[in-house]
Amino acid sequence: MRMDYGYFEEKKLGKPYDVRLLSRLYPLIRPYRLLFFGTICLIVLITLLDLALPFITKIAIDRYIVPEQSDSMPAQNSPAGSAERAVRLYPVDMEDPESQAIVERHPDLFITQGETVYIPFDRLSRLSKEDLKQLRRQDRSGLKMAAAMLLALVACSLVLNFFQAMIMEYAGQLIMHDLRMRLFRHIQRLSISFFTRNPVGRLVTRVTNDVQNMHELFTSVIAFVFKDLFLLVGIAVVLLGIDVKLALISFSVLSLIVVASFKFANLAREAFRELRIRIAEINTHFSETIGGMSVIQLFGQEKANSRRFYNFNHANYLAGMRQIHVFAVFMPIIELLGAVTVALLIFYGGGGVLTGSITLGALVAFISYMRMFFRPIRDIAEKYNVMQNAMASAERIFLILDSDERILESPDGRPVEKIQSVGMASVDFAYLEDEPVLQDVSFDLQAGQSLAIVGPTGSGKTTLINLLMRFYDPDDGSVRINGQDIRSVKIAGLRSRIAIVTQDPFLFSASVRENIALGRSDLTDAQMSAILEASNCADMIERLPEKLDTTLSEGGSSLSSGERQLLSIARAFARDPDLIILDEATSYIDSETEQRIQEALFNLMKGRTAIIIAHRLSTATSADRILVLNRGRIIESGSHPELMADQGFYYRLHQIQN
Amino acid sequence: MTRSASIHLITPFFKKHRWQIAAGILCLIVVDFLQLLIPRVIKWTVDGLTGYAIGSTGLLTYAGYIVIIAAFIGMFRYIWRRCLIGTSRIIEEGLRLRLFDHIQTLSSAYFDRTTSGDLMAHATNDIQHVRMAVGMGMVALTDSIVLGISAIAFMAYINITLTMFVLIPAPFIIVGTRLFSRRMHHSYRAVQGTFADMTEAVRERFAGIRIVKAYTAEQASSNEISSISREYVAENIKLVRVTGFFFPMMLFFSNLGMVIVLYLGGRLTIDQTITPGDFVAFISYIGLLTWPMMAMGWVTNLIQRGKASLERIDRILQTTPDVLDAPDGKPLSEIDGHIEFKNVSFNYPGTHRPALKNISLTLNAGSTLGVVGPPGSGKTTLLRLIPRLYDVGTGMVLLDGTDIRSIRLSDLRSQIAYVPQEPFLFSGTIEDNILAGGPVSGSDIVSAAEKAALRRTVEHFPNQWDTIVGEKGVILSGGQKQRVALARALIRTAPILILDDPISQVDVATGTAIMNAIQDMVGSRTIIIVSHRISAVRFADTIVVMDQGQIAAKGSHEELTAFDNFYTRTFRLQQLEEETCPQTVPLEPPKPAPVQG
Repeated sequence: MRMDYGYFEEKKLGKPYDVRLLSRLYPLIRPYRLLFFGTICLIVLITLLDLALPFITKIAIDRYIVPEQSDSMPAQNSPAGSAERAVRLYPVDMEDPESQAIVERHPDLFITQGETVYIPFDRLSRLSKEDLKQLRRQDRSGLKMAAAMLLALVACSLVLNFFQAMIMEYAGQLIMHDLRMRLFRHIQRLSISFFTRNPVGRLVTRVTNDVQNMHELFTSVIAFVFKDLFLLVGIAVVLLGIDVKLALISFSVLSLIVVASFKFANLAREAFRELRIRIAEINTHFSETIGGMSVIQLFGQEKANSRRFYNFNHANYLAGMRQIHVFAVFMPIIELLGAVTVALLIFYGGGGVLTGSITLGALVAFISYMRMFFRPIRDIAEKYNVMQNAMASAERIFLILDSDERILESPDGRPVEKIQSVGMASVDFAYLEDEPVLQDVSFDLQAGQSLAIVGPTGSGKTTLINLLMRFYDPDDGSVRINGQDIRSVKIAGLRSRIAIVTQDPFLFSASVRENIALGRSDLTDAQMSAILEASNCADMIERLPEKLDTTLSEGGSSLSSGERQLLSIARAFARDPDLIILDEATSYIDSETEQRIQEALFNLMKGRTAIIIAHRLSTATSADRILVLNRGRIIESGSHPELMADQGFYYRLHQIQN
Repeated sequence: MTRSASIHLITPFFKKHRWQIAAGILCLIVVDFLQLLIPRVIKWTVDGLTGYAIGSTGLLTYAGYIVIIAAFIGMFRYIWRRCLIGTSRIIEEGLRLRLFDHIQTLSSAYFDRTTSGDLMAHATNDIQHVRMAVGMGMVALTDSIVLGISAIAFMAYINITLTMFVLIPAPFIIVGTRLFSRRMHHSYRAVQGTFADMTEAVRERFAGIRIVKAYTAEQASSNEISSISREYVAENIKLVRVTGFFFPMMLFFSNLGMVIVLYLGGRLTIDQTITPGDFVAFISYIGLLTWPMMAMGWVTNLIQRGKASLERIDRILQTTPDVLDAPDGKPLSEIDGHIEFKNVSFNYPGTHRPALKNISLTLNAGSTLGVVGPPGSGKTTLLRLIPRLYDVGTGMVLLDGTDIRSIRLSDLRSQIAYVPQEPFLFSGTIEDNILAGGPVSGSDIVSAAEKAALRRTVEHFPNQWDTIVGEKGVILSGGQKQRVALARALIRTAPILILDDPISQVDVATGTAIMNAIQDMVGSRTIIIVSHRISAVRFADTIVVMDQGQIAAKGSHEELTAFDNFYTRTFRLQQLEEETCPQTVPLEPPKPAPVQG
């Protein structure tokens, strides 16, 4: 069922979708905008945390691990490349008496410049462990602080990420629930002709799979777009803040990466699109083969068909290889560009460290941020793909929501009083133009009377019922209830006065009780047992494992066709209708069950108006009036004795059948 | 990650492409090592910068190293992607073809009990899962092992104690992954289950839309869907409670490694045990380790999902056709076409009511049999047993005196031209559909189409025989489809012709033309016709009237009109209908004639 889309529909996929579609999504989000706002806030916080992690490392390096000198740098710190090599110095805290003692113990290691005492970095290792510990006591405690800070942020990130995921999913699911229900209600409201044109499988796919695809858009993509966008901007800001020149150098390569990514996104989209088309071809061929399997087998076509399938399958393989090629070329290119950025950072940034224009920690942070920068860019193509899928689904969903093929309800529809009369006046009707199904049909039926409709297959009997139920409106003439055109009354009111008993009742996979009540929740137990009694269902239900609460599986396929008809009669009783429409059964039913059905029907029709599509003339005989329908026209009408006296079509039919 | 028995389905592919896979894995390993070199270069740089022990030439050299290493990484990446992911595509192709070929051997009973949606899901989703498990699974597995172990080795080379501390979170990640992936799997199954329920509930309500509308049960039906939809939402939230915790948790553990490096590694640097360069390299290695550790979780899921899919595919491949060639199946070349049913009874699988009860019937070569009877009386079932779409329950069907179960299936079917009740057309041209792969010349098509009263219709189409009919023949009307299916059977000169209600969807005049063409073939082959129109069978040598799976009456048209009630009534009724409306065009899908005792 999920594969119902055909090859043609699929071909359109991959076209860039209209952004206006997105604007139509907003009303769906509106009721949950607070949740949405909340999740976006969380995303911002999480992004800030992500950005903070390398920055803490930078601070730890610059302050504690490889401390930078203050501005008053010693003179011998000349630029790199000069004859005299620069030396990194570590200032000693002379306030501390213990540190002072160390300096005094090793005068050869320390350099005094005015008030400050330094030790060159490479001489630190010549100190004993204890001395070193003492000398860098503050660094060690500072580092502890930095690590604690990092731990706190990491823990925060865990909690925030969890809540963000929960809130996002919650909002997304609620939105999808709303959309699903809106779509379901909308489709349910559409006219019967819409259902005859659209296969059920396709409609189901809209409500289930397509909505699911949209969900991907809501959660994954929106989260990622916001997160990635924030992250990219955030990194850029941080880099500029650390060092403008170095940031600009990195951006020069990054711009190349962005160009390459877009080129890649384009090629990847093409590759994905081609794959989708190929997969759709495979699906079409596969489902066609399953559908026509007996023909293939009867005509010994297995080999030829397999060859055809091989071609589709191989085309899919080739498309898959092309996709691999695109990814295999672009991913490394993007990463190579990334490496070039790191190389540039090392060269320029390293030079900057040597001249003292930036710190070592800053350089390390730059390299860390670069790595962060690539993560979102690498996923662009994949997200684009998810996005395309979701947009295709969105388009299909909105297409249905936009179709408004309904039986129009007049705005001032009147409620329907108890049915006193029902009839048709000069009704013409055609499903397709130029193929009239009913022509100039008129009849009139008073409350309490029964009308039998007789005629060959295809004479328009079922259509007549479709018009009475207002599944369709006539092209000309009118259907009348109590003298009013049914187009002027409330549809629900009209239908609530009628019960239809079909030869193959549609049973839902629900309990027997629900199948009988069919939406009526106000039935008392006493009423229910009266219904079961009158419809001759009591015995049968008594035999079911859980009586009325037995769940019917697969549309009641476990019941015999006679039992199904009895249930359908009970269903009609539950409505207590004024008018019964009965489509008499043609299928075989054993005579005992048949007897029970006849009794139940007799009970049902007692005191009610009834229209019966009679397949057996014996049924017609007992009706008050009989209409003989042929090729959409009423060719004879009257009571049984009258029609027999006429010696026309009905008479001859009767002669044959007896 | 226990080895499943279904693995045998893909091992041949691994064997066949072992060199490609080996090359891919080798490249992947090289890439992993090269990746680990970059932090080394950064370490040298940082150390150089710390002591100002480096000049611009040195920096340039290091920058050059990085670019060169990255270039090699790129090159080898390209190779492993092509080799490893390419192999997964090869496996996908091979597995799908195998599934397809196997499904083609299965019998009708299998398709009665399996929905086409399920089969489609196997053909697409399951095979894709296997592909992902093989391709990305192989990559992620190699990566996590090679990159993981060597990153640890590189770190240990710098400082063993620090490495041990940094690895503290690792067992948590691995154990956590296993625990969570199990829970994730359960939740995921629950979500899928509710999704299936929802799909079925929606399908039922759309399929039964007339009842919903007639009984103004729209509100109740919406409420029902709404409650299932809410259940689906709840299951999804449950799933997210697991995944939403799992992924941040993994990130947390990997970041915990970072905290450890910062604290302990930083201290070691301060204490001059390791250099600042080592410290920075450690941070890079932690970054590189994150992916293999995460991959381990991911790969478990991927492989589990792939395994489940592979098992489902295997289950189909293990299904043996109900209708099988006997091991000593006899080849069959020329037959006369003498058919005999001997005490045949048959139940459709899964049903209890016999579709055929104790049928015995003999049909001489070259004779014609007509079959009539009310719907559900077993007419079509009778026909289906002859080409062994189903095998008899008890009794046997004999062809020229041989039990058809001992004849090679393909030989048996090649002797039969069959027109099924529901014409099935394949997307393609009309010509393709008529030829059905058979090597027949163009003039044969025209004459077959002529007999099926199709020639003039097709010649009015702009593209004539090359008209593309679309999926299931959408562009054609029911009657046209039926005539194409008829032409498809008539073009074959098989000694047995079976027609299941061949003129149900055409008007009387066309039907008469078709029946005349069929009558011309009488004597040259054995013909069996099921029809609800008596006029289509009245010329037959023998006509049987079926009722509830049994033969209720048998005889020629004249004999039956003399004594059988059902037959006579139906005949006269149809005469009356045809007389009052001579050119009936069916307005509704074909339904059985309204006849009942």
